[in-house]
Amino acid sequence: MSHRILVVDDSGLARRRARGILESAGFEVIEAEDGMAALERYFVDKPAVVLLDLVMKGMYGLEVLTKLREMDPAAKVIVVSADVQTSSHELVAQGGAAGFLVKPVDANEVLTLVRATLGA
Amino acid sequence: MELNPVQHDALVELLNIGFGRAGASLSKLTQQRVLLDVPTVAIHPVTHLTQSLGKLVNDRVASVHQVFSGPVAGDALLILDPLAAATLTELLTDVPSLSEELDPSSREVFTEVGNILLNACIGTFGNMLGVPVSFSVPDVDVSEVHTVLDRMLDSGDAFRYALIVTAGFRLRSSAVTGYVVIVLTVQSLKRLLDAVDRWQQTQ
Repeated sequence: MSHRILVVDDSGLARRRARGILESAGFEVIEAEDGMAALERYFVDKPAVVLLDLVMKGMYGLEVLTKLREMDPAAKVIVVSADVQTSSHELVAQGGAAGFLVKPVDANEVLTLVRATLGA
Repeated sequence: MELNPVQHDALVELLNIGFGRAGASLSKLTQQRVLLDVPTVAIHPVTHLTQSLGKLVNDRVASVHQVFSGPVAGDALLILDPLAAATLTELLTDVPSLSEELDPSSREVFTEVGNILLNACIGTFGNMLGVPVSFSVPDVDVSEVHTVLDRMLDSGDAFRYALIVTAGFRLRSSAVTGYVVIVLTVQSLKRLLDAVDRWQQTQ
């Protein structure tokens, strides 16, 4: 059975890259381009893992992470962001994310972390 | 406000590290070797910015602008010649960019590249100095240099300084050269220089 992954990013380029990586490994991919859409899709489509950008129009990724984890404490969220700062990585970890990938990502690191998160 | 020689050396070193990170990101994105110029850094009142940038770039530029906030707050700008921006987006998408104006798809790609490069540069800087910053959503623009700068400087107070970082980068097989400009308030510039002083004392 293929796992469903929700990719949340306001950049179409970032969503396409993530989709390409995940679909080539047999995952089913659904997308959201902002935080509100992500929350809706999460509860309608029940993805196994969420890949979440941090800086987006409207709701910031950290807020989306908090809301997801409030509504579903078992939500598995991997943050994917260009933000290289240690302080941001610490905030994301405190928010309950399963991991942090710094853009630009490569296929192996995405798949390794997604598989590890699914197995956790 | 001027940099003393110790602050200047420390800033160049920090920028070298930040730009090394940005260059590595760009290389990973484009699958090309990226050549980095040694960064130069200078402080100018923002009122001199158009003139200073005019020596580096043509009148019309493609830019990505991001506001950053925190103890050191300001504006970061990535500037490229529009043709170079189009070439850069082609390298990432394999789709020819038909116009210097950048179509919506190319703008989206260029915005994401700008986001990654500015985050790599300023985020590394923030990490090393222990000064965390938060970034806004990036804006992309293709227009005359003075228009880009007017828009960026419109909302803030006039007593600002530009930390002009001429950190040029070139993709080996493509004519893509870009520059980063960081604009800070006087207060933020002072905090930045204090952080630089603390950092260089630990080195």
